[in-house]
Parts: sequence; structure tokens; C-alpha cells
Amino acid sequence: MRAPMHLTLDIARKMIDAMIRYAQDNRVMPGSFAVVDEGGHVIAAERRDDGLPATFDIAIDKAWTAATMKTSARVLEVITRGQGWRLNVKYNGRLTIIPGSVPVVSGNRVIGGIGHSGGSAEEDEAIAQAGLSAFYREDHIDFTGEDMLRSLRKVADAVINHVTGNKLRPVAITIVDEWGWPVLIYRMDGAPYGYIEVSRDKAWTAAAFKIPTDSVADKVGVNYGVGWNERLVTTAGGIPFNLRARYSQ
Amino acid sequence: MPELLNFDVAIIGGGIAGVSVARELSQYNVNVVIERHGDIGLESTSTNHNLVCQGGDALSFRPGTLHAELNVKSIPLWPRLADELGFPLKRVGGLWLIRDKADFRRYLRLYSRAFKSSLEPNAPYYIPEGSFQPLEFVDRKRLLDMEPYVTPNALGALYDPNLCITDPVKVAKALAENAKANGVEFLLNQEVTRIERQGITYSIYTRQGLVIKSTFVVNASGIEVDRIAEMVNARNFSIVPLKGTLTDFDEEVGRLISHEVHVLPRMEDMPHVRAVLPNIYGLARSGIYLELTYRSDRVIREEAINHNIKVAKELFPEIPFEKHIVKSFVGFMAYTNADTGWHDFVVDIPDYVPNWVNIVLGPAGVSASPMLGKKVVELLMQSGLKLEPKKGFDPRARKGVSS
Repeated sequence: MRAPMHLTLDIARKMIDAMIRYAQDNRVMPGSFAVVDEGGHVIAAERRDDGLPATFDIAIDKAWTAATMKTSARVLEVITRGQGWRLNVKYNGRLTIIPGSVPVVSGNRVIGGIGHSGGSAEEDEAIAQAGLSAFYREDHIDFTGEDMLRSLRKVADAVINHVTGNKLRPVAITIVDEWGWPVLIYRMDGAPYGYIEVSRDKAWTAAAFKIPTDSVADKVGVNYGVGWNERLVTTAGGIPFNLRARYSQ
Repeated sequence: MPELLNFDVAIIGGGIAGVSVARELSQYNVNVVIERHGDIGLESTSTNHNLVCQGGDALSFRPGTLHAELNVKSIPLWPRLADELGFPLKRVGGLWLIRDKADFRRYLRLYSRAFKSSLEPNAPYYIPEGSFQPLEFVDRKRLLDMEPYVTPNALGALYDPNLCITDPVKVAKALAENAKANGVEFLLNQEVTRIERQGITYSIYTRQGLVIKSTFVVNASGIEVDRIAEMVNARNFSIVPLKGTLTDFDEEVGRLISHEVHVLPRMEDMPHVRAVLPNIYGLARSGIYLELTYRSDRVIREEAINHNIKVAKELFPEIPFEKHIVKSFVGFMAYTNADTGWHDFVVDIPDYVPNWVNIVLGPAGVSASPMLGKKVVELLMQSGLKLEPKKGFDPRARKGVSS
């Protein structure tokens, strides 16, 4: 069988599993992993337990850079010869010419990007390559530990099972930590990429006010976001939850 | 009850890398075991152009990489190895065609680097006098004298007289047989399923029911190298499987070609290699058509064969290659840094796993194998393996290795 010509959520998750395993084996500081499609939009992104919150968006931006520039940051670094920051400014800070990203190539075509943030430049690069290596493997490389992430994955799996079981439209799922920073984003196959940001906003709103998003208008008394809380969303779709294991006495 | 075997060094993988290390270790008083699914050198070792002693080619590899270092340092070792082990090593020479000015400029750069990086005694990879002949530019007339059927579009060529052809499988077998005659034990048809580490002792379990206990492990398992390394959390590298398709043509074509003829790949050719060359059995070989894919993908695709024929026709337009195909075959190589195209070898002891050596060769691995053996022995000695030269070591002895 030939390697797949498109990235799916399952493949992206498989790649992230392999990257987490590689990071654990090589004692890399916990960080974030992102796999994006050829347009640079997130398919799956995850943050390891105790990973720095800031790494999450850096990983996504790295993956976006690899997918849209169709080359890895290591090459961009060489061909821009230290002038990469100019490009970074031009692209409103999104273009990330820091090693730690590789494009996913299948059949001589770039079909996506991988990004990792959290370790040194060399470690980030090696981890992204481990993700690419996993793309070309049929078997699944699993990891141990990461209890928090595993529990949150179970929540996301329950949502996916619900959607597929009831034949609903595919969705994007975001789970954030208690401070509103994302820990996990999954976009189911076929879900338009616009839903990624919507689901992030809903997750932030639910975490920030500790109430379901559709009751924000009633209970908090605001119905649109401004300034510091521009992520605020008041339509249904976001719910807060506690993980018992974490908060029990 | 599984059978228990004890060794000092266990080498996983019986390709060119594994047997080179085994043969090098057989000079010392160390027990070695090699294990392999079927026979010696069936996988990556057999899928290549059968070129060794890459001469100017090796000098074009990026200086500073292990890829360049091992290849260049291996150049003077090959003739002695061929003499000791009696495998055929035929110097055919390579012709790198110049199609236009851009080609010429690129070759000039290569040519000057070849001199800079190797022939001066204080150069990074010094090659002793006499083991390397300088490259030269040949004009169109001389090119046609050397290769009468080559394309008339060529303006000339860069001639590398150092290029040799051989049969890498034969080389691997000769190395293995010599290692066995010097006391190395071979366990064939043993598939590793699990490896456990207790302190610095490894227990290697095979599907066929053997348990091999060993203090040092050399992981030279070719395309499976990452899977084996994962068993003990020793993977500190990443590979992607690079599938190559080669096409062989019969003697009638083989008679008409006497040099390795190739063109430097350009952007539009990437990533395929465009070369035609004779092999030691009188056939001609063309390729390589390269793909990144699953390692179970062993299908020979029509587009790959067509590409190989097209390349051959471009270089030798008058020869009817399509009527003389013997066979096409595929094989895999481990390729690192696929995202940048900056492939390099891995010969390394991981930071967190003691007494374990990972070897990833990939393209140009066979040419680098003589030096690789020495390098790995050095690494093992640094990490504490006690080696005493064996008195009765015979570099020419042979003993059959078969399953």
C-alpha cells in the first residue's frame, strides 16, 4: 500500500503519538505538537502535561510555516540568511523561521506540516522529523504517562464517537486548561477549518466564566467580546468541566 | 524453555553494515552474533548501482558530514579488501555529462572541491598518494571515443577514473564468511521481537525462540533500524523509507556501455537519480526512481520502469533499451533529514542508553562500509568494550554462511 495522499485526524494523531514517544525517550522538555493540512489549518494539536502554554500556538505557527512555505524551517533559515525576521514582520508575526517544523510530503506534493515547540531548536527539529517518520509507518507507536493529556483525549474521543455514532456533521473540538489555554485541538475529517477558531473561542469562554457559553449572556450580562475578552462567545457549544482526579481532596 | 545464548557483542542485521562490523570485530577476542531474517545482504545492500570507491562522487558529499567522512576514508581501503576477500572490483570510471553551461559551472565547483578537500596532506579527509586519481574534463571527441553510443547532445564530460563496480551482495557474503572463519557466530532466520535491558545487559528475544544475552548491541538492521531502537527507547534519530526502483538490461546492451554515465540532477529531475552503468555480470543497469512510501509498498510501478527507460534513452538515444529489459526490482534505504534533503549517516551511541550503537547508512552506504567497521569498533572501545587482538586472525579465510 502506498503512503496516504491526504492527512486525516487519525494519521495526525498517530504522528503526534510518535512525537510524544520520541520526546519522552530523548528527555525533551514537555511542549506542544501540531499537525496541519496543506492550507496550514490545524488537524490536530496537543500539549503535553506541564507543557508551557505559549508553546501551543508557536507549534501551530511552525506547522503553518512549513505547510505554506512548503519547506522546513531549517531550509528557510539557510535561504533567508538571517533575514527571516523581515518575513516574520511581513506576515504579521506568524511566519516562524525557527527550527522545529517540517512539511509532510507524499507523492512529491506537500500535503501538510508538522510543528513542535518546547525544546531546543535541534530537539524541536528532531521531533518534527519523528512525526514525519511516523507518517511513513503503518504501525502505531504508543507512549506511556501523560495522564492529564490521556484523560482529555478520552473526553475528545467521546465527542467524536457521539458525532460519528449519531451521524452528525463533523466538528472541531478544543479543550483548554483552567486558564483558557488550549491543551488539545482536533478537527474531524470534513469539518471546515473555520470551526477551529470558533471552538477555541467557545472553550475559552466556558473556562473563563465557568459556565456554559449559552448562559453567559444571562448570567454575566455581556453578549459580545471587546478588548481583553475578544474571544467571548455567547452561543451554545462550550461547557466547563473539572477532572475529578485533579481536583479531588 | 527458550534457548539461552551469551555473547559480548550482538549485531542485529546482516547487511553490509552488520557484516562490516562483524568482520572488523573478528580480529579481536570477542564473540559476536549476527541475526537476520533470511540471508546476508538481501535488503538495502542489494538495491543500488553496485558502485563503490566513489572517488569524486564521495568528494561531492557535504564536507563535515559522516556521509562524506566515511565515504572518503573508505576509498583507499577498498582495493585491499577486494584482494583479501577475493570479490570482483572493476574500475570502470564515471562520466558525468555536461549538457550546457550551467552543468559545466556546477562540475567546476565539484572539481575544485574534490581537490581542496582531499589531496592536500592537511585537508580534512586526506587520501594517501596513489589511491585516488584526479578527475579530468574530457571534450566531446574523447567522450565519444570512450562511449560511442552516448547522446550527441553532450558537450563533454567530467571523467572520474576512480569509480569501481562490484556486487555488494557478494562483498557482504565474503565479509560474513571471513568473519565466520574467524570465530563469529551467525544466527540466521531469527526475527527480533523484543529486547529487554537490565542495567548494561541486553536480552534479545526472537520469534524463533532464542534468547540472546549480550553486553553490547550494534543495531544495524537497515530499514528496521528505528523499530529495533524503539524496543529499548534508543531512538534518537528519524528515518523515512526511501524506495528505489532499478531496471536491469541484458548483455546486448551491457556490451555497448563501458562507463557509469550520469547527469547531475536538476530541480525538475528531483529526486530521481539519472544514471546508466554496466555491472560486473555484463548487464546494464538504469535508475534510480525514488519514492517516499510505506516500507510494505514493494510494488514495482510502471511509471518507475518507464522513468528508468526514459533516462537510459536520454543518455544513449540509439540503444533500444525497451526491448532488452531483464528485470526491475525495488528495495528500501533508510533516509534521514528527508525534509531538507541533507541526508547523513547515523553512527551513534544514544545519550540515555548505554552500550548500544545505532547505525543508519542509506544512500552510498556500501561504499562507506570499510571505514564504518573501524568507526564502530572505535565507538565500542570508547564505551568500555575490552578488545585484544586475536593471534590467529586470517584476513583471507572463508567459511560458508547459510541457513
